[in-house]
Amino acid sequence: MGLMAYDERRILEMLREDEVSRRRAFEAIVRNFSEQLYWQIRHMVLDHDDANDILQNTFIKAWTNIDSFMGYSRISTWLYRIAVNETLTFLGRQKNVLSLDDESDETGSVSDRLESDPYFDGDATERQLQEAIATLPEKQRLVFNMKYFNEMKYEEISEILGTSTGALKASFHIAVKKIEEFFNNAD
Amino acid sequence: MEKEDKILDKVGGRRPFSVPEGYFDNLTDGIMAALPQEDSVKQIPVAVTPWMRIKPYIYMAATFAGMFFCLRFAAGLGRNESVQTAQAEETTIYTDEYIDSFLETAMIDDCTLYYSLVNAGN
Repeated sequence: MGLMAYDERRILEMLREDEVSRRRAFEAIVRNFSEQLYWQIRHMVLDHDDANDILQNTFIKAWTNIDSFMGYSRISTWLYRIAVNETLTFLGRQKNVLSLDDESDETGSVSDRLESDPYFDGDATERQLQEAIATLPEKQRLVFNMKYFNEMKYEEISEILGTSTGALKASFHIAVKKIEEFFNNAD
Repeated sequence: MEKEDKILDKVGGRRPFSVPEGYFDNLTDGIMAALPQEDSVKQIPVAVTPWMRIKPYIYMAATFAGMFFCLRFAAGLGRNESVQTAQAEETTIYTDEYIDSFLETAMIDDCTLYYSLVNAGN
């Protein structure tokens, strides 16, 4: 059986058929969106293993709730929403663990962590940018990463986060300003 | 936009992360293999048979029928007792002696008695 081309209308039809068709349709969804979702998650959590776990959970959640997907939004929007929720849940849990840890410095700064990460191949300035991004509130971080690294349109981000494009533009520019200040202070 | 350009100029916007070799090649298969089977995910709905649907009503009807027969049995016992009492009373009242004395004092002749006995069944 060959690989199925991504045709959203056909996939939506197949999701309402028997289990074999549903799995086949879902496989096409995974193949089409897994990489872009991975990068969205990776930019938020930085670590590859964490990103991989969250991505797996995202698709498991999507699969187990596939009946609740009524097709009112695009499949990509629905998947991004699940991925964002899973990522924020993970970050919240991580923050709680760190706040319970008396020696929270043990984990080191973002820059130090990235320096020892075999899957980070950026230079010192790129490490510094990640450090600056990590200081942003989660929502601003999401918007900045979606826009800057994933080159998503404000309209797409608006659908996923349920925020107006005007508010997203403002959020992005505030994030840029903060990052600039971070760099200025570091100089 | 000017500030955004400054960052783009300084850092470039290049993705500074990498992944293990072949990670994306095997990603879809890995995710699909980790998905639970639908049967284990979804609760299998229990098929409701017609018997399961009418069972409570049957049980309720049986209970009422049982109560009805119990009451009827109890009422029937009481009625039999009263019938037996009435019959006993009648037997006691209408003895042969009573009838003979009634006939003696009734001032009726044999012809009238015969006539009334013949017509008693009509």
